[in-house]
Amino acid sequence: MERGGDRGGFGRGFGRGDRGGRGRGDRGGRGRGGRRGGGRREDEQKWVPVTKLGRLVKEGKIVSLEQIYLHSLPVKEHQIVETILGPQLKDEVMKIMPVQKQTRAGQRTRFKAFVVVGDGNGHVGLGVKCSKEVATAIRGAIILAKLSVVPVRRGYWGNKIGKPHTVPCKVTGKCGSVTVRMVPAPRGAGIVAARVPKKVLQFAGIEDVFTSSRGSTKTLGNFVKATFDCLMKTYAFLTPDLWIESRFAKSPFQEYTDLLAKPTKAILDDVVERVDA
Amino acid sequence: MESDLRSLRITSIEKEEEDEEREDFGKEGEQEDDEDDEEEEDEVEVTLGFAEKPKNPRLLLRHLFPSKAGGVPAWLDPVDLPAEKSFTCGFCREPLQFLLQIYAPISDKEYTFHRMLYVFMCPSMSCLLRDQHEQWKRTVENPCRSVKIFRCQLPRSNPFYSSEPPKRNGTDIPTITGAPLCCWCGSWKGDKVCGSCKIARYCSAKHQSLHWRLGHKIECSKILNLSETSASCIVNGKAKVRATDKYASNSLWPEYEIIIEEECTFDSEIPEYNRSITSLAFTSNRIDETYQLLSDKFEADTDKKVWASFQERIAKAPEQVLRYCQDPAAKPLWPLTIGCPSKADIPRCNYCKGPLCYEFQIMPQLLFYFGVKNDPDSLDWGTIVAYTCLASCDASISYKEEFAWVQLYPTATVA
Repeated sequence: MERGGDRGGFGRGFGRGDRGGRGRGDRGGRGRGGRRGGGRREDEQKWVPVTKLGRLVKEGKIVSLEQIYLHSLPVKEHQIVETILGPQLKDEVMKIMPVQKQTRAGQRTRFKAFVVVGDGNGHVGLGVKCSKEVATAIRGAIILAKLSVVPVRRGYWGNKIGKPHTVPCKVTGKCGSVTVRMVPAPRGAGIVAARVPKKVLQFAGIEDVFTSSRGSTKTLGNFVKATFDCLMKTYAFLTPDLWIESRFAKSPFQEYTDLLAKPTKAILDDVVERVDA
Repeated sequence: MESDLRSLRITSIEKEEEDEEREDFGKEGEQEDDEDDEEEEDEVEVTLGFAEKPKNPRLLLRHLFPSKAGGVPAWLDPVDLPAEKSFTCGFCREPLQFLLQIYAPISDKEYTFHRMLYVFMCPSMSCLLRDQHEQWKRTVENPCRSVKIFRCQLPRSNPFYSSEPPKRNGTDIPTITGAPLCCWCGSWKGDKVCGSCKIARYCSAKHQSLHWRLGHKIECSKILNLSETSASCIVNGKAKVRATDKYASNSLWPEYEIIIEEECTFDSEIPEYNRSITSLAFTSNRIDETYQLLSDKFEADTDKKVWASFQERIAKAPEQVLRYCQDPAAKPLWPLTIGCPSKADIPRCNYCKGPLCYEFQIMPQLLFYFGVKNDPDSLDWGTIVAYTCLASCDASISYKEEFAWVQLYPTATVA
């Protein structure tokens, strides 16, 4: 009996031809299809990193987000943040907003999801995603939020006892017409802010703060963006304790971080050496 | 037309606001319309390849027509192997290392009954960076690249394999032994012989010096003393082929078998729990237009959108290492927007001058499976796309070179 008469080749191959029965048989044998119904837990365990940073994180060479922030490395895979922050990372859907588009056959509605993630200990992220289904939008927004996680600096109001609990200094952020000003508060003051920025500050891990806002805070989009901007500025402010000089550390991606060394020159030197040898 | 009607009516202030907002959303909707159209375009069938440890390394020998990654190549045509100037890297002149091979026969032509595609690349990242400049050059007669793809095809009746399919029950053996291979890499033809023992074979001087330093110095004298051939690297005339211990190199990538699955088998069902949330969402009709500004800052721009759709696509099967598409109109899945070739960047076939078309692409998950180190200078790529001759032409040499396009991630720079 000739097997594979019409199809080219013998047995399993990628080929351009009909592959109806064989694919299913393989799947049963390897047990790969059964993983579909496993749910999200299995996907996280089975994360195969696609970028070099992802591989470093999976290996365990990078254990804190600060190592990534220090060198301004772009985080492209949300599993990186998940792996590093682990179960402390909480997410919350702030709002699901239906947006509509007029078509000949009525209105086409899509849903826009706003999700804020944070670990309550100095890291927050915000994600926005629009999709035809609510679940897809929420999932997409969570992923985008994890990709946009930024660090938040906390300090003291007065005596430096215990852990930092408030913003280190008065900072202000602006977006559109809204300006948000955050002022350090003593312990026990709690977050004195409007409903939506209070949520963001809770996720950031700030325990006490006085806020003051100006402008059209009715526009929630600008309001939240302004608080974000404010939180990002906490690490941009040069306070006296940062006056000491710090040494540059080697980025995991670059051999040289000082401005004098040029990477292209290093490659040419290698080539010259090999040719000589 | 609607706006004209609206201007005629006398509306309350609130209603005006709502209408304005809907106009704005109309515009926003138009922008998003493109997204929807693009989503519906991808209907081509894609086959995925997964790397798995083989149950038995003997299953990956050439008479069983394997698809594998890492280790040594299983040459389809064991005699007429590529020549030295084909198998060396264009920049560092070292022999290329075997990355993967796939068995991709084409059913409608007789001479492509057996068809194998081999991918080799230089393991040095600096060569790959230089290769990037080379691949952008058009109309170059002999391009010097560090990534090479070879295609080999045979008709059903050929001098190397029987016309019957292999039984796959452990009793298959190759009919003839091939040309002797290099002792060190096990990949390329071993033309050069060791000067002292005259038995160990090498493909290049570099591999000979490497092997000498890492063990052959001691073995060589032992071989000279013994009359019979008993060293581990010797290929003798017996038909029995040893699967392992055929090569002495310690830097080859670990061997995997490539398992083939269709991408459509991974389409999972999204649970329909959004019904209740939909009803809640509809109660509040007041649309806040300034969420748009928020979305501008926190949503994706084009580069991030391409990356996000790339991630979404591979999330169906995150362990995939290879994507194969048989449709000539298919487009590869690009992770980034920069570094994509246009139609003019893809050259013509070297042999028949016909057009090349996208056949398969290698994903970066393979680096994870190979355990490539993550030093600043170690190998890393975004994707490697293979363009092969559409007609799968037959030429006089057995291993025909095809075109590879490498897309690298932009190197992270300190701001």
